[in-house]
Amino acid sequence: MEPLLKATGLCLNLGPLPAVRDVSLEIYPGQVVGLAGRSGAGKSALAMLLAGVHVPTQGQLHFAGRPVGWPFDARALGIEVIYQQPAIAENLSIAHNVFLGHEIGWPGRGKWLKVPDRARMEREAARILARLGMSVASLREPAAALSGEQRQLVAIARAMTRPARLIIVDDPMLLLSYPSQQRLLSLVQSWQREQTAVLFASGNVDHLLAVTDRILVLRDGQCVADLQTDGTGREEILAAMVGIADRQQLTPIMWALDSYYRAREQAEKLSQRQALLDRELDARAAAHWQVLDHMADQIDTLDTANAALQDAQRRLLAELEEERKQLAREIHDQVIQDLLAVSYELEEIGARDGTATSLQSELLGIRGSIRDLVDDLRHICRNLRPPTLDSLGLGPALESYTREWAEHSGIAVKLSLDARLKRLPESIELSIFRIVQEALNNVRKHAAATVVEITLQHTSPRTLMLSIADNGCGLGQEFDLAALPTQGHYGLLGISERVALLGGRFKVQNHAPGGTLLQVEIPHPRIEAPGDQG
Amino acid sequence: MDDKAVATPPVAPVTAPSRRVARLQALLTSHDLGVLGVLLALVAFLSLRSDSFLSNQNLANVARNFSWLAVVALGQSMVMIVGGIDLSVGATLALAGLIAAHCMQIGLPVPLATLAGLGVGMAIGWVNGATVARIRLPAFIVTLATMSIVRGIAYGLTSGWTVTGMPEEFLALGQRSVGLGSCSVPLPFVLALAMALLVHLLLSETVLGRYIYALSRGERALRASGVNVVRLKELVYTLCGLLAAMGGLMMTARLGVAAPSAGLGNEVDVVAAVVIGGTSMFGGVGSTLGVLLGAALTQVLYNGLVLMGFSGHWQSVAIGAMILGAVLLDYWRRRR
Repeated sequence: MEPLLKATGLCLNLGPLPAVRDVSLEIYPGQVVGLAGRSGAGKSALAMLLAGVHVPTQGQLHFAGRPVGWPFDARALGIEVIYQQPAIAENLSIAHNVFLGHEIGWPGRGKWLKVPDRARMEREAARILARLGMSVASLREPAAALSGEQRQLVAIARAMTRPARLIIVDDPMLLLSYPSQQRLLSLVQSWQREQTAVLFASGNVDHLLAVTDRILVLRDGQCVADLQTDGTGREEILAAMVGIADRQQLTPIMWALDSYYRAREQAEKLSQRQALLDRELDARAAAHWQVLDHMADQIDTLDTANAALQDAQRRLLAELEEERKQLAREIHDQVIQDLLAVSYELEEIGARDGTATSLQSELLGIRGSIRDLVDDLRHICRNLRPPTLDSLGLGPALESYTREWAEHSGIAVKLSLDARLKRLPESIELSIFRIVQEALNNVRKHAAATVVEITLQHTSPRTLMLSIADNGCGLGQEFDLAALPTQGHYGLLGISERVALLGGRFKVQNHAPGGTLLQVEIPHPRIEAPGDQG
Repeated sequence: MDDKAVATPPVAPVTAPSRRVARLQALLTSHDLGVLGVLLALVAFLSLRSDSFLSNQNLANVARNFSWLAVVALGQSMVMIVGGIDLSVGATLALAGLIAAHCMQIGLPVPLATLAGLGVGMAIGWVNGATVARIRLPAFIVTLATMSIVRGIAYGLTSGWTVTGMPEEFLALGQRSVGLGSCSVPLPFVLALAMALLVHLLLSETVLGRYIYALSRGERALRASGVNVVRLKELVYTLCGLLAAMGGLMMTARLGVAAPSAGLGNEVDVVAAVVIGGTSMFGGVGSTLGVLLGAALTQVLYNGLVLMGFSGHWQSVAIGAMILGAVLLDYWRRRR
């Protein structure tokens, strides 16, 4: 059979260095010839010679029986070339890039004055690119936006627009991902079945062994081996590539190459998997964002509800205090006055002449009870609304309250007040007073203490620290503030709620010498610092 | 909350009206609209400020000057789209006019003399193209040299004198008007529009046009696809020379005199028209409509400066500023 391509004695210098030295080769129709060699061995230079790009310094070329002179237009002869670096016209559409140089249009034989049939070119290009596993949104987009791999696929598609007689494949694998590499290898096999000759230059010996019929090995620009693929193996090819005949020296090189190929393949597969994972992660991240958004919404709603609740509680407390105030006033102004009036009347009755002595002593007893009753009522009034709090302020109110409480309970109280303590807003004064009341209540009921220390200090011009320490039994081991209401104790919880409403902080703990320490920090409008008389 | 997922819109089937709209959009870019806006604003301003601007005489004058500028600019825009420049158009214009006039003076029939003039232009263009494409010298230097050479030949052939005495039928090319409905339109204006239509069809409808647009950023791809890039460049420069010669003939016919100094410095006007019309200095971008608008704007600006009483010295300042502005705009758009 006549060879499709017959080259004899090709020589090429690139710069001062010889790139191809006296290479002869023949390629028959339907034959896949591999070009093996390390990088720089002259594979590409030889491929470009046969593609008509480089002009040799010596040598002849016959294609399909006819002599060919350089430089020639490979495509005019029916030679398609896939370059290492894809050549893309950036300004043209993807579809036009696929058909560049062989546009479909009218008139069919016109060359430059042909009017391209864009719709048909797009249809055909889509078909070819689908075969290569490439999908793009629109084939009308300029090719400038394509990625490296997509560019190479477009360049490969260009070689498939027309039936070719010879396809020169110059190691395009570098830009291709693993699946595209496999697709190209199977394409080479299908070309072979269609009786197209293929010249396949590659640095990957496994690729060459997979698809070629014959392998030429180049070293330093010379053809050093011409091997039938079926009768050779990787060892022989590698030996020719590196120029070592000794098996012992070759083995480490083979191992290195082997693991290199395997590593590259693994890396390809890994990057594939990573791309898949990335896609999945993106989807999941989107779902997570949705959940987060949803949660943020719910938190917002809860915040609003909470604020409304706090507001309601604040109003409730204010109303409660107001009612207590009313009640205290009524008891003081009405009931106590009435009782005192009754007492005077009784005194008058007793002072009348002719009153029996027994009755007098009885009246005296009743008046004593009334006085006790009035005392009790006054005590209740003070608890309901300490009058000193409104008239004299927090300090005097606390002083009088603790004195009385100490008398009643028999527990000593040490009260130390900040010298700078001045009048504060009513709500704050009242809250602090109530907190002290509640805390002392707790001490009397639960602590079994003998001494209580109460300190009210400014920690800054805007905050007031109230600490109440007793020397009692302290808190239990499993003290849990949140669990108290279920046991019917609302005192501490009430304190903590009052503090929260004022925007302060609340802490209750056992303290070192034994007993409980309750600390409350409450912010308030700025007071004048000592010495700051402005 | 903004949408995090950006969905790619599904590709809608292209229907006939949307294709028509797309065509229209392709024809009228935003740049063209901008230039059109400036042109209309300038025309409105001049009509208000000058009584003579809208007179038939003045408008016909502007149209005639526009004609040769537009025809030459069409060729220049093709050269610039392939990433080159032709500085020799002004000299080519002068020599083509001279040769044609000389041929007529010695008694050659008008069609033959016209062909001779056009042939001279094509030859100059081919020399430019071949030098740029084959020896790969920068177009700027090559055409700067040919500009000097061609202008020198024009002076040398005539010893600096003008050539007159052309037959009526040739002068008609530049001076006659054709009636279109009620108004009469200068013949060169019609010719310029016809040339523009031809160039537009060539650029937008043919494979050659696609190659011209592809060349600046795809020379390797064209070569690899079997396109003869050298011949492509030669063809583009030759077409530019042809159109420059055509502009020269129109100018000669309009003036009735062929002078070796004709079109001296007109390279600047031509480049201004092309660049203002949106053709990129970096190649690959440009439209015929843009070139027409750029040429119109340049000529109306010249006319306006004269009507407003500025001396001729200031005209080149205005044109230079407009070139700079257009190039800066082009640069800024490419950087985005």
